Amino acid sequence: MLALEYHRSPVRYLAAGRLPSRLHPPAVPSLAPMRLAERPEPAPPGPGWTRLRPLLSGICGSDLALLAGRVSPYLSPLVSLPFVPGHEIVAEVIDEVFDETGELAPGTRVVVDPVLSCRTRGTGPCPPCAAGHANRCDRVNAGHVSPGLQTGFCADTGGGWAERFVAHRSQLHPVPGSLPSEQALLAEPLACAVHAVRRIDIPRGAKVVVVGAGTVGLLTVLALRELTAAGPVTVIARHPHQRRRARALGATDVLEPRNALRGVRRATGGTLVRPDLGPAHLLGGADVVFECTGGQGLETALRMTRAGGAVVLSGMPSRPVDLTPVWYRELRVVGSYASRDDFATALDLASHAALGGFVDGVYPLARWRDALGHALAAGRSGSVKVAFDPRAR
Amino acid sequence: MRLSEEIRALRRGRAPVTRSAEPWVPRPRPRPFPTDWARTPAASAARVIVRDLGLRTLTWTSTRPRVHGADLLAGIDGPVVFAANHASHLDTPLILGSLPPRLRRDVAVGAAADYFFDARWRAAATALAFNAFPIDRNGTGRPLDLAARLLRDGWHVLLYPEGTRSRDGWMRRFRLGAAVLCTDLGVPAVPVVVRGTYQAMPRGGHWPRPGRPAVTVRYGRPVAPREGESVREFGARLEDAVGRLWVEHDEGWWNALRAPVPRLTPRGPAAAPWRRIWESTRPVPVARRRVWPR
Amino acid sequence: MTRPGLVLEVDERTPPLLVHQGEGFRLERFPLGTRVVYPPDSLPGLRDLDAGIADALHHPLGSEPLPDLLKPGMRLTIVFDDLSLPLPPMRAPDVRQRIIEQVLELAARAGVDDVELVAANALHRRMTPAEIRHIVGERVFASFWPDRLRNHDAEDQGGLLAVGVTPHGEEVEINRRAAESDLIVYVNITLVAMNGGAKSVAVGLASYRSLRHHHNVHTLRHSRSFNDPPNSAMHHSYHRMHRVLSDAVKVFHVEATLNNDQFPGRFAFLNRREWEWTLTDQAAFLAARRANELAPPAVRRRLWHRLRAPYQVTGVHAGATEDVHALTLENVYRQQLTEVHGQSDVLVLGLPYLSPYNVGSVMNPILVACLGLGYYFNMYRGRPLVREGGVLIMYHPMPAEFDPLHHPSYIDFYEEVLTQTTDPATIETKFEEQYATDPWYVHLYRNSHAYHGVHPFYMWYWGAHAREHLGDVICVGADRRTASRLGFRAATTLADALEMAGETVGRSPGVTYLHTPPMTMADVR
Repeated sequence: MLALEYHRSPVRYLAAGRLPSRLHPPAVPSLAPMRLAERPEPAPPGPGWTRLRPLLSGICGSDLALLAGRVSPYLSPLVSLPFVPGHEIVAEVIDEVFDETGELAPGTRVVVDPVLSCRTRGTGPCPPCAAGHANRCDRVNAGHVSPGLQTGFCADTGGGWAERFVAHRSQLHPVPGSLPSEQALLAEPLACAVHAVRRIDIPRGAKVVVVGAGTVGLLTVLALRELTAAGPVTVIARHPHQRRRARALGATDVLEPRNALRGVRRATGGTLVRPDLGPAHLLGGADVVFECTGGQGLETALRMTRAGGAVVLSGMPSRPVDLTPVWYRELRVVGSYASRDDFATALDLASHAALGGFVDGVYPLARWRDALGHALAAGRSGSVKVAFDPRAR
Repeated sequence: MRLSEEIRALRRGRAPVTRSAEPWVPRPRPRPFPTDWARTPAASAARVIVRDLGLRTLTWTSTRPRVHGADLLAGIDGPVVFAANHASHLDTPLILGSLPPRLRRDVAVGAAADYFFDARWRAAATALAFNAFPIDRNGTGRPLDLAARLLRDGWHVLLYPEGTRSRDGWMRRFRLGAAVLCTDLGVPAVPVVVRGTYQAMPRGGHWPRPGRPAVTVRYGRPVAPREGESVREFGARLEDAVGRLWVEHDEGWWNALRAPVPRLTPRGPAAAPWRRIWESTRPVPVARRRVWPR
Repeated sequence: MTRPGLVLEVDERTPPLLVHQGEGFRLERFPLGTRVVYPPDSLPGLRDLDAGIADALHHPLGSEPLPDLLKPGMRLTIVFDDLSLPLPPMRAPDVRQRIIEQVLELAARAGVDDVELVAANALHRRMTPAEIRHIVGERVFASFWPDRLRNHDAEDQGGLLAVGVTPHGEEVEINRRAAESDLIVYVNITLVAMNGGAKSVAVGLASYRSLRHHHNVHTLRHSRSFNDPPNSAMHHSYHRMHRVLSDAVKVFHVEATLNNDQFPGRFAFLNRREWEWTLTDQAAFLAARRANELAPPAVRRRLWHRLRAPYQVTGVHAGATEDVHALTLENVYRQQLTEVHGQSDVLVLGLPYLSPYNVGSVMNPILVACLGLGYYFNMYRGRPLVREGGVLIMYHPMPAEFDPLHHPSYIDFYEEVLTQTTDPATIETKFEEQYATDPWYVHLYRNSHAYHGVHPFYMWYWGAHAREHLGDVICVGADRRTASRLGFRAATTLADALEMAGETVGRSPGVTYLHTPPMTMADVR
């Protein structure tokens, strides 16, 4: 089986992590501890597991952060090397699956909820899982599956960037026949976005800012518009195509990053003050800010939230920030990881017309360097989501 | 214990004293900054460099000083009190710089304890550069004891009887300290008037205005306390002498002699603050050659 | 008798002509037949200015002499124009200083104790102490700063007084201290015909509530031009307001006019006509231009803004506003007016580094648009220099640079408003109120050194008449993105610009170049 494999290589990890970010697109694909290898097909590790054939497998921002050496070492005990990345997957069932929730015939298209919680590991439910919060599972390094917080970070299950992988029945959600695979691929990130907007209570008319307009940011705008009664939604987007898409998804106003604070101030009121050193901040500002950049935008997000407001971390934070605003403005910082029972809503939303054309780069596994280069420069090259099609040659 | 552990333990050397072991310490009485060291021969030698070479050069290049009446100082042979009006930080360097070296060497300057002697570095610098000694202007304790001691030791003392720099260029009423010193010790007072320093560098300024503004130092004939004269009477006489010098600057010696109550003229008009400043900042007309020198 | 203004027709013997272009200048060869409008030569100044001022104060027009108006115990307020006048700032001593000193001298002699000085900065930024000191001089500053020498604060609700309403329903609200004074002495410099007269108190000391009645699109579209008061709707409004004011408070107006000496010694060639340049002038031009190009941008800006003009005062008049202003306007026209016959298809303007609103800071794109379409376009009497539907070509690099200290609302105006529309009327109805009442802008106006939130709107309205009149605006050497944001087109050279203009005005258009600065006003017959 052909698979892309992330392996242990401290030298490559450190080298990629020291690169300035504008060198990422050309250099990271060659420097990352990644290789295309012939691997044995993963076997189902226990009851309820089944084999799947990926049809499309997305490249997520967290995958890119991993390859660029920007992921916090905090997560290292929660993965098992070497693993096959890829957790945004539209796949096809190979063997017939029966269980109490129903039957999946071979060839059924499914999307995968990548969280590997207690149910998939054969251990009894841990307290968070028992409370229904599978994404907060405490036993991601226990049970009969090797450690791995998600499919795509676990040595035993394989991941989407391969010709085969295995998943637990509870992870699979059948895709309605009318939904094209390109849009079904967005179900996983959409589920995260849905989860993020459900993490906090967004009152009617609340002034919301979404920092970042990559996949997560754009889908968060969609979730905000479809699921909440938020008032004006301001999006901070770097690239023109992102601004266009954000507006199509329902953003009230779209700002460039250099103009972000002033624009948010105009939209939400308050005053802008400028410290002697460092960036400016607002007194007053947005009620809720979604940080969807994977770290760079967090500093800005904290500085544009009104006192007592909330900042939701949708992206994986990758760098230290000045937390003074959290203390002084009494902000609520809310984490939002993966999703929890949000796939049904996500599959509904995935059929939204404005999501057409989000997946516009599909590569075979053999061209993985091109694919990663494209994904790293997605914003600049006018793309949102880049994906692998492991069946293609 | 390993050496490294011992070292680590000892690095707490600056730990506070254990509460139960704290010794009883009597509250120290605030003591004036000691300035006797500034009158030792070594400090005097250093002062010649700082004051005469440094400050005097600086003052004389950034302003255009004119000195009148220095000849009247020739007869001084014992300690005296110099009593001057005060409008600017320029006053002291100007007076010291314009005195003959013979007197300059032995002048100690009374300086406000709360302004010049509040921080140690400033106190030390002031004492060294000006041979200054602190005067507590709030009058608690005995503010003039030190001045009296200096006079007895043979030093001249420069005092500003107004007690502070002028806010509008005009003089305020004299306080009695200088008069008390003179009558108690029987030393004469030399009236001094400095003009133009308010325009050159008023309160709040740190450097004289550009363009070398003209400033004038004017010395008067020493005034000695008479037999049986009260402090108040002598004070009024001294203030009159200073006032007469002020009038002399504006209107000439003859008019100054005839001024009825000369100490009132330098107090300025009784009018709104702007008019007082307006008058005191009136530009000096271009000097004309006088047929009769003052 | 100085040489009058001149309309030059470019022929084969005409040397390349000087064109200002932001913080720089260049020589440009104009197509044959281009008309170039030059102002009259600089008029000689008053020989003894102090005597001139004293004479004006003691023998005023339509009023008792100033000494007779000053009584002990009265409230006297001296109001003076802010740093938007003159341009560039005048070499010390400023004429306002010399007038104010004489007025104060008389007040002191009369025993007037209650005197305050207020800068008539309306919605302009607060001036810094150093800027005020430059205007009023060291002595006045020492006597009055900071309690009795202030910037006018148009947002200090307690410091304003509604004086009345004009028959047209225009509210007149001005500085309370001035309104409640027994006498206002207004010390003015009239640089262009728009300034001075009824405008001084009614605008300089007013609040937004009062200003919106004449600083709006409708009025400015009907001010043709606003440098020709009888034909300016804006000035009609000023006059109505002034009449209300005159009933409430006595105003003694002192107006000074300046000649055209805008550039000091080294740069004197900028004031001369190119064919009269001596070898020294040519060398000075070459040296200045090279040095200017080589200097780092920050240094270049600092040097330009350090320029102090050696202006001479051509006249000082005092007394009742209308009487004084009539003479003042005569002086201004005598210095600036040149007679031009007929309109042309294309008007060319060189925009310099300075407009009234960026003294000491960057001239941002909105101010560029205002200077070109507002101020220079309106330097006409009779008809505009360019025909209706004609093309304006202006020179300016137009970088999208803003000074966040002085122009915070301009940045938002540029990013938020201009991205949506450039139509003055739409902007007025949709955004003006929001910006005028935004508490942050109000805070910065009152406590920092920022122009009021509504000020960029006024700058935009200033160009409303020109936008309506012109068929196209082309900016030579401008940043393409900035130009398009402002609704203009950018060209690299004059030849390109003329080619682009050809789409609108045909292949062989008549071209007029208004040679300014120094200030030039065309009397178009």
